[in-house]
Amino acid sequence: MQIGEAQLKTWMTSGLDGDAAAHEALLRALVPLLRSFFGRRLRDAGDDVEDLVQETLIAVHTRRASYDRDRPFTAWLYAIARYRMIDHFRRRKVSVPIEDVEAILITEGFEDAASAKLDVDDLLTGLSPKQAQAIRDTHIEGLSVAEAAARASIGESDVKVSVHRGLKALAARIRGEQP
Amino acid sequence: MNTEQLIRSLSGNVPRVPRRALGRRIGLGILGGAAVTAVLVAAGLGIRPDLHSAMHGFSFWMKWIYTGSLGAGAMFGVVRLARPAPTSLKGLWLLLVPVLLLAGIGIGELADTPSRDWLAMWLGQSWKVCPWLVLTLAAPIFVGLLWSFRRLAPTRLRAAGAIAGLAAGAWAATIYCLHCPEVSALFVLTWYSLGILLAAGAGALLGPRLLRW
Repeated sequence: MQIGEAQLKTWMTSGLDGDAAAHEALLRALVPLLRSFFGRRLRDAGDDVEDLVQETLIAVHTRRASYDRDRPFTAWLYAIARYRMIDHFRRRKVSVPIEDVEAILITEGFEDAASAKLDVDDLLTGLSPKQAQAIRDTHIEGLSVAEAAARASIGESDVKVSVHRGLKALAARIRGEQP
Repeated sequence: MNTEQLIRSLSGNVPRVPRRALGRRIGLGILGGAAVTAVLVAAGLGIRPDLHSAMHGFSFWMKWIYTGSLGAGAMFGVVRLARPAPTSLKGLWLLLVPVLLLAGIGIGELADTPSRDWLAMWLGQSWKVCPWLVLTLAAPIFVGLLWSFRRLAPTRLRAAGAIAGLAAGAWAATIYCLHCPEVSALFVLTWYSLGILLAAGAGALLGPRLLRW
Protein backbone atom coordinates (compact mmCIF):
# COMPACT_ATOMS: atom_id res chain seq x y z
CA MET A 1 0.00 0.00 0.00
CA GLN A 2 1.42 3.35 -0.97
CA ILE A 3 1.87 6.06 1.63
CA GLY A 4 -0.91 8.60 1.43
CA GLU A 5 -1.24 12.35 1.38
CA ALA A 6 -1.75 12.70 5.13
CA GLN A 7 1.48 10.93 6.08
CA LEU A 8 3.52 12.67 3.39
CA LYS A 9 2.21 16.03 4.47
CA THR A 10 3.03 15.33 8.11
CA TRP A 11 6.59 14.42 7.17
CA MET A 12 6.88 17.49 4.98
CA THR A 13 5.73 19.86 7.70
CA SER A 14 7.98 18.26 10.30
CA GLY A 15 10.86 18.55 7.84
CA LEU A 16 10.06 22.24 7.36
CA ASP A 17 10.22 22.60 11.12
CA GLY A 18 13.76 21.21 10.98
CA ASP A 19 13.14 17.50 11.65
CA ALA A 20 15.80 15.80 9.52
CA ALA A 21 14.49 12.29 10.18
CA ALA A 22 11.02 13.21 8.92
CA HIS A 23 12.58 14.84 5.88
CA GLU A 24 14.56 11.71 5.13
CA ALA A 25 11.47 9.54 5.53
CA LEU A 26 9.64 11.83 3.15
CA LEU A 27 12.31 11.69 0.44
CA ARG A 28 12.48 7.93 0.78
CA ALA A 29 8.73 7.58 0.44
CA LEU A 30 8.72 9.77 -2.65
CA VAL A 31 11.08 7.51 -4.58
CA PRO A 32 8.51 4.85 -5.53
CA LEU A 33 5.85 7.48 -6.20
CA LEU A 34 8.12 9.39 -8.54
CA ARG A 35 9.45 6.25 -10.21
CA SER A 36 5.96 5.23 -11.14
CA PHE A 37 5.01 8.79 -12.13
CA PHE A 38 7.92 9.11 -14.56
CA GLY A 39 8.00 5.45 -15.50
CA ARG A 40 4.47 5.58 -16.77
CA ARG A 41 5.20 8.63 -18.88
CA LEU A 42 8.65 7.77 -20.28
CA ARG A 43 8.59 4.36 -21.77
CA ASP A 44 11.85 2.39 -22.15
CA ALA A 45 13.99 5.02 -20.46
CA GLY A 46 15.17 3.55 -17.18
CA ASP A 47 18.16 5.87 -16.72
CA ASP A 48 16.13 8.94 -17.55
CA VAL A 49 13.52 7.91 -15.01
CA GLU A 50 16.12 7.60 -12.28
CA ASP A 51 17.68 10.94 -13.28
CA LEU A 52 14.30 12.61 -13.10
CA VAL A 53 13.56 11.02 -9.74
CA GLN A 54 16.82 12.41 -8.39
CA GLU A 55 16.32 15.84 -9.93
CA THR A 56 12.85 15.99 -8.43
CA LEU A 57 14.14 14.97 -5.00
CA ILE A 58 16.73 17.72 -5.19
CA ALA A 59 14.08 20.25 -6.19
CA VAL A 60 11.80 19.07 -3.38
CA HIS A 61 14.71 19.59 -1.01
CA THR A 62 16.12 22.92 -2.24
CA ARG A 63 12.82 24.56 -3.15
CA ARG A 64 10.77 23.44 -0.20
CA ALA A 65 10.16 27.07 0.79
CA SER A 66 7.70 27.14 -2.11
CA TYR A 67 5.40 24.64 -0.39
CA ASP A 68 2.32 26.15 1.17
CA ARG A 69 1.48 24.26 4.36
CA ASP A 70 -2.20 24.96 3.92
CA ARG A 71 -2.41 23.09 0.65
CA PRO A 72 -2.09 19.42 -0.29
CA PHE A 73 1.43 18.08 -0.48
CA THR A 74 0.90 15.82 -3.47
CA ALA A 75 -0.38 18.68 -5.62
CA TRP A 76 2.87 20.52 -4.95
CA LEU A 77 4.98 17.42 -5.51
CA TYR A 78 3.44 16.46 -8.83
CA ALA A 79 3.55 20.04 -10.08
CA ILE A 80 7.31 19.95 -9.49
CA ALA A 81 7.62 16.51 -11.05
CA ARG A 82 5.67 17.62 -14.11
CA TYR A 83 7.86 20.70 -14.49
CA ARG A 84 11.00 18.57 -14.22
CA MET A 85 9.68 16.25 -16.90
CA ILE A 86 8.76 19.03 -19.32
CA ASP A 87 12.20 20.55 -18.76
CA HIS A 88 13.72 17.14 -19.40
CA PHE A 89 11.98 16.95 -22.78
CA ARG A 90 13.08 20.47 -23.59
CA ARG A 91 16.70 19.71 -22.77
CA ARG A 92 16.72 16.57 -24.86
CA LYS A 93 14.81 18.37 -27.57
CA VAL A 94 12.50 15.40 -27.58
CA SER A 95 9.33 15.96 -29.46
CA VAL A 96 6.40 14.19 -27.95
CA PRO A 97 3.76 12.64 -30.19
CA ILE A 98 0.59 14.60 -29.73
CA GLU A 99 -1.36 11.61 -28.50
CA ASP A 100 1.08 11.22 -25.62
CA VAL A 101 0.76 14.80 -24.47
CA GLU A 102 -2.47 14.07 -22.74
CA ALA A 103 -0.92 11.22 -20.83
CA ILE A 104 1.96 13.46 -19.77
CA LEU A 105 -0.29 16.18 -18.58
CA ILE A 106 -2.62 13.93 -16.63
CA THR A 107 -3.06 15.62 -13.34
CA GLU A 108 -2.09 13.38 -10.54
CA GLY A 109 -3.17 13.92 -6.99
CA PHE A 110 -4.21 17.50 -7.54
CA GLU A 111 -6.16 19.26 -4.87
CA ASP A 112 -9.47 18.33 -6.39
CA ALA A 113 -8.36 14.75 -6.60
CA ALA A 114 -7.38 14.83 -2.95
CA SER A 115 -10.81 15.89 -1.81
CA ALA A 116 -12.49 13.81 -4.49
CA LYS A 117 -10.71 10.78 -3.07
CA LEU A 118 -12.59 11.15 0.16
CA ASP A 119 -15.89 11.16 -1.71
CA VAL A 120 -14.81 8.21 -3.82
CA ASP A 121 -13.79 6.22 -0.75
CA ASP A 122 -17.18 6.99 0.68
CA LEU A 123 -18.97 5.82 -2.44
CA LEU A 124 -16.89 2.71 -2.94
CA THR A 125 -17.76 1.37 0.50
CA GLY A 126 -21.26 0.80 -0.82
CA LEU A 127 -20.09 -1.65 -3.48
CA SER A 128 -19.09 -5.28 -3.15
CA PRO A 129 -15.43 -5.57 -2.11
CA LYS A 130 -14.51 -7.10 -5.48
CA GLN A 131 -16.11 -4.29 -7.47
CA ALA A 132 -14.62 -1.63 -5.22
CA GLN A 133 -11.17 -3.16 -5.51
CA ALA A 134 -11.40 -3.45 -9.29
CA ILE A 135 -12.43 0.20 -9.66
CA ARG A 136 -9.80 1.34 -7.22
CA ASP A 137 -7.05 -0.56 -9.04
CA THR A 138 -7.92 0.35 -12.60
CA HIS A 139 -9.38 3.82 -12.29
CA ILE A 140 -7.64 5.31 -9.28
CA GLU A 141 -4.27 3.67 -9.05
CA GLY A 142 -3.99 3.40 -12.78
CA LEU A 143 -3.17 -0.30 -13.06
CA SER A 144 -3.90 -2.08 -16.30
CA VAL A 145 -6.68 -4.66 -16.34
CA ALA A 146 -4.07 -7.42 -16.47
CA GLU A 147 -2.24 -6.03 -13.44
CA ALA A 148 -5.44 -5.60 -11.50
CA ALA A 149 -6.44 -9.16 -12.34
CA ALA A 150 -3.10 -10.50 -11.18
CA ARG A 151 -3.30 -8.52 -7.96
CA ALA A 152 -6.78 -9.77 -7.09
CA SER A 153 -6.03 -13.29 -8.46
CA ILE A 154 -9.11 -13.24 -10.66
CA GLY A 155 -9.58 -13.35 -14.42
CA GLU A 156 -9.25 -10.28 -16.61
CA SER A 157 -12.82 -10.50 -17.78
CA ASP A 158 -13.88 -10.71 -14.17
CA VAL A 159 -12.08 -7.42 -13.53
CA LYS A 160 -13.73 -5.80 -16.52
CA VAL A 161 -17.18 -6.97 -15.51
CA SER A 162 -16.64 -5.87 -11.92
CA VAL A 163 -15.54 -2.43 -13.05
CA HIS A 164 -18.46 -2.11 -15.41
CA ARG A 165 -21.09 -3.20 -12.88
CA GLY A 166 -19.48 -1.21 -10.11
CA LEU A 167 -19.42 2.02 -12.12
CA LYS A 168 -23.02 1.46 -13.15
CA ALA A 169 -24.05 1.06 -9.53
CA LEU A 170 -22.09 4.15 -8.57
CA ALA A 171 -23.68 6.19 -11.34
CA ALA A 172 -27.09 5.09 -10.18
CA ARG A 173 -26.26 6.02 -6.61
CA ILE A 174 -24.97 9.45 -7.60
CA ARG A 175 -28.17 10.08 -9.54
CA GLY A 176 -30.01 9.23 -6.36
CA GLU A 177 -31.50 5.92 -7.49
CA GLN A 178 -31.20 2.97 -5.17
CA PRO A 179 -29.75 -0.08 -6.93
CA MET B 1 25.32 8.98 -7.40
CA ASN B 2 22.62 6.53 -6.58
CA THR B 3 19.32 7.62 -5.17
CA GLU B 4 20.00 6.22 -1.72
CA GLN B 5 23.22 8.25 -1.38
CA LEU B 6 21.44 11.32 -2.65
CA ILE B 7 18.71 11.02 -0.03
CA ARG B 8 21.27 10.58 2.71
CA SER B 9 23.27 13.62 1.65
CA LEU B 10 20.14 15.77 1.24
CA SER B 11 18.91 14.73 4.67
CA GLY B 12 22.21 15.79 6.21
CA ASN B 13 21.20 19.42 5.88
CA VAL B 14 17.61 20.19 6.81
CA PRO B 15 17.31 23.82 7.90
CA ARG B 16 14.08 25.05 9.41
CA VAL B 17 11.77 26.80 6.95
CA PRO B 18 9.39 29.13 8.74
CA ARG B 19 5.82 29.51 7.55
CA ARG B 20 6.41 32.94 6.09
CA ALA B 21 9.67 31.97 4.36
CA LEU B 22 8.37 32.50 0.84
CA GLY B 23 7.06 36.00 1.43
CA ARG B 24 10.17 36.90 3.35
CA ARG B 25 12.46 35.73 0.57
CA ILE B 26 10.57 37.69 -2.06
CA GLY B 27 10.55 40.75 0.20
CA LEU B 28 14.30 40.43 0.73
CA GLY B 29 14.94 40.14 -3.00
CA ILE B 30 12.93 43.27 -3.69
CA LEU B 31 14.47 45.19 -0.79
CA GLY B 32 18.00 44.25 -1.81
CA GLY B 33 17.37 45.35 -5.39
CA ALA B 34 15.57 48.48 -4.23
CA ALA B 35 18.56 49.47 -2.13
CA VAL B 36 20.77 49.36 -5.22
CA THR B 37 18.18 51.32 -7.21
CA ALA B 38 17.97 53.93 -4.45
CA VAL B 39 21.74 54.36 -4.51
CA LEU B 40 21.65 54.74 -8.30
CA VAL B 41 18.93 57.38 -8.04
CA ALA B 42 20.67 59.28 -5.25
CA ALA B 43 24.15 59.13 -6.75
CA GLY B 44 23.38 59.11 -10.47
CA LEU B 45 20.29 61.28 -10.83
CA GLY B 46 20.15 63.18 -7.59
CA ILE B 47 17.25 63.53 -5.19
CA ARG B 48 15.00 66.43 -6.18
CA PRO B 49 16.07 69.43 -4.09
CA ASP B 50 12.51 70.36 -3.16
CA LEU B 51 11.66 66.88 -1.91
CA HIS B 52 10.77 68.12 1.54
CA SER B 53 8.21 70.63 0.36
CA ALA B 54 7.00 68.29 -2.39
CA MET B 55 6.11 65.73 0.25
CA HIS B 56 3.50 68.15 1.52
CA GLY B 57 1.94 68.35 -1.92
CA PHE B 58 -0.73 66.26 -3.65
CA SER B 59 1.12 65.18 -6.77
CA PHE B 60 4.00 63.55 -4.92
CA TRP B 61 1.62 61.30 -3.00
CA MET B 62 -0.49 60.68 -6.07
CA LYS B 63 2.59 59.32 -7.81
CA TRP B 64 3.73 57.31 -4.83
CA ILE B 65 0.36 55.76 -4.19
CA TYR B 66 0.01 54.92 -7.88
CA THR B 67 3.37 53.20 -8.27
CA GLY B 68 3.30 51.73 -4.77
CA SER B 69 -0.09 50.13 -5.26
CA LEU B 70 1.03 48.68 -8.60
CA GLY B 71 4.11 47.32 -6.84
CA ALA B 72 2.06 45.79 -4.04
CA GLY B 73 -0.41 44.27 -6.49
CA ALA B 74 2.39 42.80 -8.59
CA MET B 75 3.92 41.26 -5.47
CA PHE B 76 0.68 39.40 -4.90
CA GLY B 77 1.20 37.85 -8.34
CA VAL B 78 4.88 37.15 -7.67
CA VAL B 79 4.05 35.29 -4.47
CA ARG B 80 1.53 33.13 -6.28
CA LEU B 81 3.66 32.39 -9.33
CA ALA B 82 6.60 31.45 -7.12
CA ARG B 83 4.75 28.25 -6.22
CA PRO B 84 4.66 25.34 -8.64
CA ALA B 85 0.88 24.97 -8.75
CA PRO B 86 -0.22 28.59 -8.67
CA THR B 87 -3.59 29.40 -7.25
CA SER B 88 -5.90 31.71 -9.11
CA LEU B 89 -4.42 34.93 -10.48
CA LYS B 90 -7.80 36.55 -11.01
CA GLY B 91 -7.04 39.10 -8.28
CA LEU B 92 -4.54 40.73 -10.64
CA TRP B 93 -7.44 42.56 -12.28
CA LEU B 94 -7.31 44.81 -9.23
CA LEU B 95 -4.16 46.33 -10.74
CA LEU B 96 -6.51 48.25 -13.02
CA VAL B 97 -7.96 50.14 -10.04
CA PRO B 98 -4.99 52.51 -9.54
CA VAL B 99 -4.73 52.96 -13.32
CA LEU B 100 -8.39 53.97 -13.58
CA LEU B 101 -8.17 56.23 -10.54
CA LEU B 102 -5.17 58.01 -12.00
CA ALA B 103 -6.94 58.32 -15.34
CA GLY B 104 -9.83 59.94 -13.45
CA ILE B 105 -7.46 62.47 -11.91
CA GLY B 106 -5.97 63.03 -15.37
CA ILE B 107 -9.38 63.86 -16.83
CA GLY B 108 -9.89 66.34 -14.01
CA GLU B 109 -6.54 67.91 -14.93
CA LEU B 110 -7.56 68.27 -18.55
CA ALA B 111 -10.76 69.99 -17.49
CA ASP B 112 -8.81 72.45 -15.35
CA THR B 113 -6.18 73.25 -17.96
CA PRO B 114 -6.62 75.31 -21.13
CA SER B 115 -6.31 73.01 -24.10
CA ARG B 116 -3.27 74.81 -25.52
CA ASP B 117 -1.30 73.65 -22.44
CA TRP B 118 -2.36 70.04 -22.68
CA LEU B 119 0.61 68.89 -24.72
CA ALA B 120 3.14 70.57 -22.45
CA MET B 121 1.46 69.04 -19.41
CA TRP B 122 1.40 65.59 -20.95
CA LEU B 123 5.02 65.63 -22.11
CA GLY B 124 6.41 67.45 -19.05
CA GLN B 125 10.15 68.04 -18.99
CA SER B 126 11.29 64.47 -19.10
CA TRP B 127 8.97 62.30 -21.19
CA LYS B 128 11.85 61.15 -23.39
CA VAL B 129 13.92 59.72 -20.57
CA CYS B 130 11.33 58.78 -17.95
CA PRO B 131 10.30 55.35 -19.33
CA TRP B 132 13.90 54.36 -20.03
CA LEU B 133 15.05 55.44 -16.59
CA VAL B 134 12.28 53.41 -14.97
CA LEU B 135 13.24 50.41 -17.07
CA THR B 136 16.92 50.75 -16.17
CA LEU B 137 16.23 51.27 -12.49
CA ALA B 138 14.02 48.18 -12.50
CA ALA B 139 16.99 45.97 -13.41
CA PRO B 140 18.50 45.67 -9.89
CA ILE B 141 15.09 44.83 -8.39
CA PHE B 142 14.49 42.25 -11.10
CA VAL B 143 17.85 40.70 -10.30
CA GLY B 144 16.84 40.66 -6.63
CA LEU B 145 13.70 38.75 -7.56
CA LEU B 146 15.71 36.30 -9.64
CA TRP B 147 17.65 35.61 -6.46
CA SER B 148 14.36 35.08 -4.57
CA PHE B 149 13.16 32.61 -7.17
CA ARG B 150 16.26 30.48 -6.84
CA ARG B 151 14.78 28.80 -3.77
CA LEU B 152 11.24 28.88 -5.08
CA ALA B 153 9.59 26.90 -7.80
CA PRO B 154 7.94 28.92 -10.56
CA THR B 155 6.57 26.66 -13.29
CA ARG B 156 4.98 29.26 -15.55
CA LEU B 157 8.20 30.99 -16.40
CA ARG B 158 6.98 33.62 -18.81
CA ALA B 159 4.18 34.73 -16.53
CA ALA B 160 6.51 34.70 -13.53
CA GLY B 161 9.07 36.76 -15.46
CA ALA B 162 6.43 39.27 -16.55
CA ILE B 163 5.00 39.74 -13.09
CA ALA B 164 8.48 40.02 -11.58
CA GLY B 165 9.28 42.66 -14.21
CA LEU B 166 6.07 44.47 -13.35
CA ALA B 167 6.89 44.45 -9.65
CA ALA B 168 10.46 45.58 -10.35
CA GLY B 169 9.23 48.36 -12.64
CA ALA B 170 6.62 49.59 -10.19
CA TRP B 171 9.04 49.70 -7.25
CA ALA B 172 11.74 51.28 -9.42
CA ALA B 173 9.22 53.97 -10.40
CA THR B 174 8.39 54.49 -6.73
CA ILE B 175 12.04 55.17 -5.99
CA TYR B 176 12.40 57.28 -9.13
CA CYS B 177 9.74 59.60 -7.66
CA LEU B 178 12.45 60.82 -5.29
CA HIS B 179 14.17 62.35 -8.28
CA CYS B 180 11.42 63.13 -10.76
CA PRO B 181 9.80 66.59 -10.38
CA GLU B 182 6.88 65.97 -12.75
CA VAL B 183 3.47 66.77 -11.28
CA SER B 184 0.88 65.84 -13.90
CA ALA B 185 -1.30 62.77 -13.51
CA LEU B 186 -1.39 62.32 -17.28
CA PHE B 187 2.38 62.37 -17.38
CA VAL B 188 2.59 59.65 -14.74
CA LEU B 189 -0.20 57.65 -16.31
CA THR B 190 1.58 57.60 -19.66
CA TRP B 191 5.32 57.67 -19.11
CA TYR B 192 5.65 55.96 -15.74
CA SER B 193 3.24 53.26 -16.83
CA LEU B 194 5.13 52.85 -20.08
CA GLY B 195 8.38 52.33 -18.17
CA ILE B 196 6.71 49.81 -15.87
CA LEU B 197 5.22 47.97 -18.84
CA LEU B 198 8.60 47.91 -20.57
CA ALA B 199 10.02 46.26 -17.46
CA ALA B 200 7.19 43.73 -17.45
CA GLY B 201 7.80 43.02 -21.14
CA ALA B 202 11.51 42.56 -20.57
CA GLY B 203 10.66 40.18 -17.72
CA ALA B 204 8.36 38.18 -19.97
CA LEU B 205 11.11 37.91 -22.59
CA LEU B 206 13.82 36.94 -20.13
CA GLY B 207 11.71 34.82 -17.76
CA PRO B 208 11.84 31.51 -19.63
CA ARG B 209 15.61 31.74 -19.90
CA LEU B 210 16.55 33.16 -16.52
CA LEU B 211 14.01 31.47 -14.29
CA ARG B 212 14.58 27.96 -15.58
CA TRP B 213 15.58 25.43 -12.98
